[in-house]
Formats: sequence, C-alpha cells, structure tokens
Amino acid sequence: MWESSSLRCLLALAILCLRSLVYSQEIGSLGDPQNLKCVTHNLHKMLCTWDVSSRGRRGQTDFCYATNDLTPQVCFKTKERRVEIPVPESSITVTIKSPGTAFATKEFVIHQKDISFVPATPHILSLTPDFPTSTLNLKWSDNGLVFPYGLDALWQIQILRKEAMEEVTQVTYYSKLTHEDIILSWNWTSDMPLECTSHYVKIRCYINATQFVGPKDWSDWSPAEVIPGKDTEPGGSGVFPLDTVVAVGSDVTFCCVHEEDQRITNMTYGSKSYTMMQLSSRSHAIRVLNASASNSSGTNVVCRLENGMDGSVVFVGYAPDIPQNLSCETSNFLIIKCTWKPGRPSGLYGERKTKYSLFERISSKNVSCEVNEMNRDRVCGFPVLPDQKTYDFVLDVSNPIGQAQSSLLVDITQRVHPKTPEKLTVIGNNSTSIQLRWFINGSFAGIRLLCQIEIISGHSEKKLQNVSMTGGKSSSYTAQLNELHPNTNYQFRVRCSAADHFWRWSDWSRGVDQTTSEAPPSRGPDIWRERSPSGESLKVFWKPLSLSEANGKIVSHEVSCFLLETLLEHKVVTEPSNSTEIKLGKSDCIISVVAKNHAGSSPPSRITSVELPSDNVTTDQAVAMGNGINISWDSYPDMTCGYTVKWCRSSGSEPCIVDWQKFPSNTTNAVIKSALFKPGVRYNFSLYGCKSTGYQLLKNITGYMKELPPKTAPNFIVEETSSDSILVKWEDIPVEECRGFLKGYLLSFAKGEKDALKPRLSESGNPELKVNNITDLTKKSMKILDLQGKTSYQLELQAYTAGGLSPPNSLYVVTKEDSVGLIIAILIPVAVVVLLGVLASIFCYRKREWIKETFYPEIPNPENSKALQFQRNICEGNKTLKTLEMNPCTPNSVEVVETQSTAPKIEDTEMMSPAAETTVPEDGSDSEMENHVVVSYCPPIIEEEISNPPMDGPGGSSQVVYIDIQSMYQPQIKPEEEPDIDLVTTAGYKPQMQLSISALKMEGRSPVEEELDKTTGYRPQANTSTWNMGTPDSPGSVESNNENASFGSPCSINSRQFLLPPKDDEDSPKPINTGWSFTHFFQNKPND
Amino acid sequence: MKFVPAGVVPFVALLLLQRRPVAGRALLVTGSGCPSHGLCRSNVQEQTRRQVAMLNATAQELFSLYLKCQGEPFSSEADKLCNPAGIFFPTFRVNRTSERKEVMVAMYKLFAFLNASLGNITRDQEELNPMAKELLERLHNTTKTTRGLISNLTCLLCKNYNIFQVDVRYGDSSKGKSAFKKKQQGCQVLRKYVQVIGQAARVLLPHLSPS
Repeated sequence: MWESSSLRCLLALAILCLRSLVYSQEIGSLGDPQNLKCVTHNLHKMLCTWDVSSRGRRGQTDFCYATNDLTPQVCFKTKERRVEIPVPESSITVTIKSPGTAFATKEFVIHQKDISFVPATPHILSLTPDFPTSTLNLKWSDNGLVFPYGLDALWQIQILRKEAMEEVTQVTYYSKLTHEDIILSWNWTSDMPLECTSHYVKIRCYINATQFVGPKDWSDWSPAEVIPGKDTEPGGSGVFPLDTVVAVGSDVTFCCVHEEDQRITNMTYGSKSYTMMQLSSRSHAIRVLNASASNSSGTNVVCRLENGMDGSVVFVGYAPDIPQNLSCETSNFLIIKCTWKPGRPSGLYGERKTKYSLFERISSKNVSCEVNEMNRDRVCGFPVLPDQKTYDFVLDVSNPIGQAQSSLLVDITQRVHPKTPEKLTVIGNNSTSIQLRWFINGSFAGIRLLCQIEIISGHSEKKLQNVSMTGGKSSSYTAQLNELHPNTNYQFRVRCSAADHFWRWSDWSRGVDQTTSEAPPSRGPDIWRERSPSGESLKVFWKPLSLSEANGKIVSHEVSCFLLETLLEHKVVTEPSNSTEIKLGKSDCIISVVAKNHAGSSPPSRITSVELPSDNVTTDQAVAMGNGINISWDSYPDMTCGYTVKWCRSSGSEPCIVDWQKFPSNTTNAVIKSALFKPGVRYNFSLYGCKSTGYQLLKNITGYMKELPPKTAPNFIVEETSSDSILVKWEDIPVEECRGFLKGYLLSFAKGEKDALKPRLSESGNPELKVNNITDLTKKSMKILDLQGKTSYQLELQAYTAGGLSPPNSLYVVTKEDSVGLIIAILIPVAVVVLLGVLASIFCYRKREWIKETFYPEIPNPENSKALQFQRNICEGNKTLKTLEMNPCTPNSVEVVETQSTAPKIEDTEMMSPAAETTVPEDGSDSEMENHVVVSYCPPIIEEEISNPPMDGPGGSSQVVYIDIQSMYQPQIKPEEEPDIDLVTTAGYKPQMQLSISALKMEGRSPVEEELDKTTGYRPQANTSTWNMGTPDSPGSVESNNENASFGSPCSINSRQFLLPPKDDEDSPKPINTGWSFTHFFQNKPND
Repeated sequence: MKFVPAGVVPFVALLLLQRRPVAGRALLVTGSGCPSHGLCRSNVQEQTRRQVAMLNATAQELFSLYLKCQGEPFSSEADKLCNPAGIFFPTFRVNRTSERKEVMVAMYKLFAFLNASLGNITRDQEELNPMAKELLERLHNTTKTTRGLISNLTCLLCKNYNIFQVDVRYGDSSKGKSAFKKKQQGCQVLRKYVQVIGQAARVLLPHLSPS
C-alpha cells in the first residue's frame, strides 16, 4: 500500500514538474538550463525546477535570483536542478549558470502569474469507527498556520467500500483557514454496518487564495485510511448491526458475516425473507426498506447458514413525542412535582426507553426523572430551592432515536396543592357549636391557607363552610363551627388550598362524626282535641315534634287543663303516646301541652275545648288532584284564629287515628297530603273554624286520593217476571267496596241460556244486547219491558265510579208463557182446518155424483178410475198412475182388530178361515168377533205401517196386523221392531180392502150382531156379493171360492154401510152392513 | 401459585449463591455441618413432590409463552434456534432404580442450575419484554418454586444423608451478550428444562412418595 502511495507521489511530482516547465520561461538556448517551472504549496516559498542538457548535468549549478533592482542578488550553488526560493510579490529574475560551460548561463524572469499554487496533501490524523451507529469519524489538520488568515479551504472526502474500493460517496467539506493549524473533524454515517465490509477514506484540499494570481489546483489525495470489516478478521462472524435502534420508516441494511467455508442459505427480517447482496466472500447483506415498528422485544434478523443460524435484533420505534400538559405544583413546599403526558409511545423499552430530565434554567439545576413506563402520567420531582419562587423548567426527553423538550415557567406559590388533611378530630362540643382540629404535612409558612369544611347532618342538606388561616410548617389547624342544631349527628371533613392564589383543593380528609348535645324543644307540639260522643271527656292529641324542633329525645308531654287560670287537671304522658283523655264532664277548659326532653320543656301549646254549635253542615266531595286532596271553603270572616282540617288517617273499619292540619284565617283552600292516603279509600275530612270562643264545624268533605272501580258487583234480584217484563231490584254497594264516588249502574240484558262457559254480556258481542245506564242513585229497581214470553234472558248489573266499572253480577231469568197468544196460536189453525173440512165436505157432497162417477162408477173403468190408480199406486208403491192391473198386486191377509174400551190384545194370527170366524170366543163376545177381520192386503203398505207406528196409546183405536196371505206368515221385520208389531194401531184411516168375513155372511147373523155392527165403526161399503170375482188376474187366494176378497176396491175396515146411499139403489144389492167408510162415500154410487 | 418453602431454616447465604450465575460450589448450610434439629418440617417430602409436579406441569406452557414473546422465527424454528446442544446443562443420569441419595444430589444440581438460569432469563426478559406481564409472572413463579425446591432438597439431603455440600455448576451468564443471544440462550435453557423436568418428575416421585 505504501509503495503504491509513494509511486503516486512521485507521479504527481513529475506532473507538477512538467507543468512547471510549461509555465517557465525559456530564456536560454539549447544545452542551457531551460524549462524553469515554479510551484508553491504555501504561497511563501516556491519550488523551481529546470531542465539542462546532458553536458551540464554534472557538477554544481550557480543559481542567483533577485526580486527587484533594489535588492541585492542572492546566489548559491546547487547540485540539484531544483531550488526553493521565495514567492515574489510581482516577479523575480533568476540566473542559472550550468557547470562546465562558461557560457551556459541563463536568466529567467518569473512573474507571479507563472507560479502554480497546489496545497500540500492533507494528512488524515485519525479515522475512528462507531460500530453501533455505523459512523466514521475523520480528523485532519488544515495546516492553516502557513496560510494567511481567512482563506477558504475546500476539502474533498471520498468514502470507498469493499476490497475493490468501490466509491460510496464523495463529499466536500468547507472550512476557513485561521492562520493556525486546526484539526478538523467530520462524521459520516454509513447506511451499512461498518462490520459488514471494509471502508476506506481519502481526502484532498483546495485553498482559494484569491489574491494569488497564478494558477491554483487541488492537492493530491491523501493516502486512504481503512476501517476493516469483520469479514477480514479471522473467525469474525455474526449478523450486524447488533441491537441497533432505528426510527420507524427507516431503510436498514443488515449483513451476515460468516466463515469462508460456510455457505449462507437465506436471511430473514422478522418472518420475511429478503434477497441477499454479496459484499465479499464472507459477507452478505439484505436491505430492509421502510421498517415498521417492532414489538417490545425487537425484530429478529436471522441468517441461516448451512450448519447453523445466527441473528441480531433491531428495535424499530419512534422518537419521543413532545411532552404534553406539563404542569408543576408543590404540596408541601419541599418538592415540586411536575407531571406531563408522554404523547405517542416510542415503542422502545428497557435500556432503549425514553429518558426524562428536568432542567431548571434559573438555578441551572438538573434532575434525572425516574418514570414508570406503565403510568399514563409521568411524574418527576424537583427540590424547592431556598429563596426561589419562580422556576423555569425545561423537560428534556430523549431516546436512541431522537429527543424533544417542553418548558414551563411557574411561580411555585401559585401552584400549591396541599396534601390531604390528616388527624381530623373534634375538640369542643355544645348544643350548637363544634371545634375541629386537623393536621397538614407541609411547610406553608409563607402563605395563607383556605380550608373548606363539609358539614353533613341527617336532617339538612350538605353545607360547606370556608375558613381562612395562616399557614404553618407541618402544623395543626383549628376551626369553630357555630349555628349547629342541638342533638344532631354531624359528619365533618376538611380540604384545603392556598388562599391567595387558588390552584387546587387537596383531597378530602377522612370524615368524623359528632353529635351535638341536647337543648329544650324549640316550640310546643301541634295539638287538637275531640269530645267523646258522650261529651263527658275530651281527648287531646298532639303531633310529635320534628328532629330540628325537638332538639333532643322527647321523653314526655305534660297536658294541663285550665279554667280561668285554675288548673283542673294535669297529666304527664310519657313517650310514645301522642294523646290522652281528660274527664271534663260538660264543662270546658283551656288545654295546654308541653313537650319535654332531657334539656328542658318546650313553650306550651294551647287549645280550647269549646265546640260551637253549627247548623247546615254540608258534605262535599273531593278528589285528589296531584299528590293531595284539594279542599276548599268559603271565607268566614268571623273565624279569627284560622281553620283546622281534621281527618282519620286510618281507613275502613280500623279505629280512627286522628290527624289534622291547621291553616291561617286567610286561607280558603288546602291540599291535604299524606303518605298514608291510599287510592280507593274514602277519607272523611271535617273543616273547623276557630273563633276566640271556640271551634265550629263548618263542613264535611269526603274524598278519595284516587277513585278506583268498585271492588264488588252490586247484589240484585229479580222481583217479578211476566211474559214481557222483568222487575229487577238491587242493593247499595258498601262504602268500603265502592272505592270511589258511585256514579251509577249499568244494567245489561240479552237473550241467553245459562251456560257456565258463556262470556260476560258486555264481552259477548251479542247484537241484541241492551244496556240501561241508571244514573239516579236513589233508584233501586228497574222494570225491563218489551221482552218475549217464555224466553231466557241474561241480566248483568254493574256499578261504576269515576275509576271504572265494577265486576258484573249476572242473573238468568225466563219470562212467563203468553197463554192468550198460545191459545190463539192453537185455535186459529184448528179453526182453519175445521173450516176447510166443512168446505171440503160441502163440496164433496154437492159434487158427489161427479166424484162417484169419476172415482167409483158403477162399472169401474180401470183406465179412468182414479181410485184404482190410487189403489194400484198404493200396492206398487210407485210412480205414475196406470189403469188397474191386477197381476202385480199380491194380496196379503190383514187381520183387523178393533179395540173397544177393554183394549183387547191383538195377537198375530193366521188368516182366519170362515170356519174359524165362526168360532165363538170363550167369553162369547160378539164384538170381538166383529173386530177380528181378515182382509187381503198388499205388503208394501204393511211395511209403511210398521215403520211408522203410531205413538199414541192403544185406547180407542184398532190394532192391525198385516199378514202375508200366501205365505201365511207375518211380514218380515227386524227383531227389535217385533214388539211394536203388536202395538200397531190404526187410529185414522184404515185400508179399505179389509173386509169382514162375517160381514159376507150377514144373513146368518143375529139382530144383536147386526146392531153391534152398526155401532162399531165402519164397514166395507161395497156389496161384495156384487163384485166381479172372476177377474182372471185376481190372485188365487187361499180360498178362491171365498167371496170375501174385495180386490180392486178400497174399503173401510170398519165400515158396513155406505155413508151416502145412492139415489137409484133399487137395482143394486143392498148392503148388509150398516157401517160407514170414507171410501164408501165415493163408492156408494149406484150402478157404478 | 406461590409456594412457601416447607419449612426450612432460611438459608439466605445459600439462596444468594444460587442466584449467582457462575460456576462454583454451593454451600448447603452455613458452617461445617447440618443443624442438629429444626431443619425440616413434617410435610417437606410431600411438598417437594408437589413442587416438582408443578414445575413439570407448567414447563411446557412457560416455554411456549417464552417463544411467543421472542418474535419470529423463534416460534416457527424453535428446533433450530433453541437447540440446546451448544449450551451447558447439568447431566441428569439418574433413573427410578438409582439410589435415592444419588437422585437427590442430581436434583439439587439440576434445580440449582435452573434457579440461576431462570434468574438470568427473567432479568433479560424484564429488559427485552417489560410489557410481557404474563411471561414475567410465570418466570417469577417458576423461579420462586425452584428456590423453594432447592430449600426442601437442601433439608432432605441434610436430614437424610447428612450432605451439606454439593458441587454445582452454573451456566454462562447472558450479561453483555446481544439481545438475540440472550433470547436464544433463554430459549435453549427452557427447552432443555422442559425435557429434563419431565424426567426429574418421573424419577423423583417414587422416591418421595409416602411409604
């Protein structure tokens, strides 16, 4: 390295010599000294060199110079071709005589402009590295001593890096020469840790000598100074920088130095891998841009090698914020406590944390502050200095990244915040005053203190009392509190501040309790009196005094009764009684009541027992408006000593607890308030006027605190019902259950049956609901009119007050039946039916010929016979009317039994043969024989009859059993209907095909039987002997020769005779039977 | 959880020595022998067993929390970064069949080392991680427990075997090392601690179980 530097120096010198040659004035000829060049390094001396031919290079040269004509020439001999001579002010004449040649003498004239000025090469005194900050410190001397004062010097510094000496930066440093040798210093911070690789520094200078007219140039570069990197150290390794602290947002370079034989795999910053740059064979680096804040333990930078890991930690944070809200105060004039808020957290902890110091400019005193990182507020103490009131504080804040400060000028006497008063005690006490004492730690000798005493008692609001006092040095302070209430428990506590310049109150002291002693009651009790109902005794009442009036615990009341200064009675009533009774008889007196406690007696309260008569006492109603019952009255001019409203505090059936309230005589209304008043309870108030002669009852008032709906439903009964009205009566609701002033009743009614699940009438939504509002409270009954007979009605009765409706009371009533209407309702249809029957009979009678011809001609035309159609229709039980077709109809046998009064049982029998008919019953009754008729009949009709058995009893009707003639068994019926078959009766119309066999053999009958036949109902009205029995289609009956079959013609079962005999019945066979049948009415047409 | 040493004479000198992170000889008791009486209380054996069990139960959580508080890549590359091969750790070559006296001495050496190392780790973390309250609390508690354990082992060794002097070697101090090296050293010690405490618990419990 040094060899290289020497070479460079020689080279530079050669260049300078050449340049000198250029500027030198050649004054000789060839072989003579020539190319004289002069260079100055310090403006005082210059180095002149010249060239000579080879002939003159041996031996000494005579060298002479003269600066002007006046000064003598200076000559000297030299073996070299260079001399140092003074720099002339303007020019210099030089004579050079070369050796060996008598005529080789040259003379040169050198002007200042021909002289070059090149400063000497600067010499680096020191180059010092600061590895934690990656900073190089360069020191060199300016050599100013040799230069005139005030010259400007420029220094060019070059930084090179790596073994290849790559230029990193070149900076120019400016200085002024002071004609002294000054050591200059310059710092440079590398963006790469100095450990990562070697760093080199070179310097050169340029002196701007403005008065020197010759050419000026930079000096040569100084030899390079080096700071070797760790990669040049044997065994040097690691990740750099170590534990460095950088600001958030910085760009940081990290390098990993390792052994030559190790291979690096990657490098990470935190959890992120970065691209590596090779610095040397043993060093690699990564560059992290815009670093973000690290956590408290820093961000790890890890270098992964093939056979291990190495790392470093970088702490990225913020420079300290400017302290905010700096405030200083003293609590004891010993220490000034300054507090501030740190602002934004630096994010740096431990040894990198922000450090605070408090500097006081006036005293130039500095204290270091130990602060707790965890507190939001930082606190620092500064001692109070003697005889110094004003403090000019500067709070310096610094951390490895930066620093900040805040200042505050304070007068400490105006920043007094006393400590909490201690040892608060009561040192004196009577019924109205107390003396307190407390202690404050601190030296307040120079100021006055203002202390505030908080007084809290049970029966009054919190009070604050200020006390000003002279401050002392850690002393006790006392204060007297007056105008307190006797026998009252007080709580006291104290806080203090500076009196003259208030800054802050201290905290409140611990509280103390103290009760003042008792005093006599301040006034007499409020009293009232009431005569007993008998008038023999007087009950005196008094109200307890309030705590502020009692001034102690009331132990008794003394009640006295005076009549014209004469004491009639005296009583001592101990607590807790608040009334007593005095036997007065009919006389009156002045009653005096005195309350007593342990300290004495109250002034007496007096009231007269006289009650003045009153007339026309009215009773008003009152309802609470707001939180009390409003009572008003007229002004009574003669009531000179006010009014008293008296009432019972109790409610309902409880014994009356008398309460009262007195009002001055100019009052005409009052709001009676009591916490005991309950809603829905009636209270009775009495207003008394006070005259000098006694009290007079003026009016009574009943009132409610709040009206509620009646508690119970009114009781009501139905007094009377008719077919169209109901008379309802009700009772009053008891006062306790009214719960308000009764306004009326609501009587609701509607049709409805009794049903437990039925809703209330008012809720049922029944459209027929009718409601009667009864507002006349004197009315206790009501008649509901216009109702329907024999109908169930639901009645509901509710009472109501201003508070609402009571629950309903319900009744169900059925109105009575309307008998006239019923009768009319029955009679009219009957009459109509009868009338129609009569009309029909008349019509039939008049048209009987036509009817007979139409329905029962002598020679029936089956095609036209309606009767036959009717008969056939009955047989077939169907459809359209057709002419008589005999085939489909298979007659059955019908046994007809006509019951008389004895109602003989009709048995199912077989079809009776004529022989059987002749069988005389055991009892030999003919009527039974008459009733036992067997006729042919069609089954469908039988079935109809069975399915509709008449419900009436058998008395007076015939029982009919229809039996299949051919099969000779009864029509099939269901077993359960079997019993009914016996009961089949035919009360009205009977099938007319029933023909009594006996009737066909009339001739053989006795007159008695005939007579009986006449009287026992209808008989078939046709003369069966005349009927055509030879109808080919007529069913072959069991006994086909029997003439009793009356097929094709309706006949009555009982009838024996035509109702209306035909006009020309001479040709027709006479009917034997004398019975009547409605069908015969139509059949009984002769020759038809 | 705090453990109060079960009743040993408070060997202040001994405990101070155990905080010293240097190699040296720990004096179990002051003077030249065990005190004749009042050394151990009745439940010292049971409490020792519980202390070891507690350390064993909390070691892994402590290690995990430690890693978490050191930042990446400690959590993700704990195997490489916390490889305890390069650090000193007392050998623990006893097993269930070893003599009880041998076990007790090995335990003493182990917990004396651990107590000192935990002290170093706690100090480093108070500097590096003052905001990591939970980690610091666990480190403090673990250190206290090892301190109580050492006291109990001292008393058992003295009472049962009249041993009042055991040579203990402590680890290298982390003082003056870089932050990364401090983190790494703590990590290596705690990792080894997790491995050894489990073994210690298994070995010690049969010897301390009530007979």
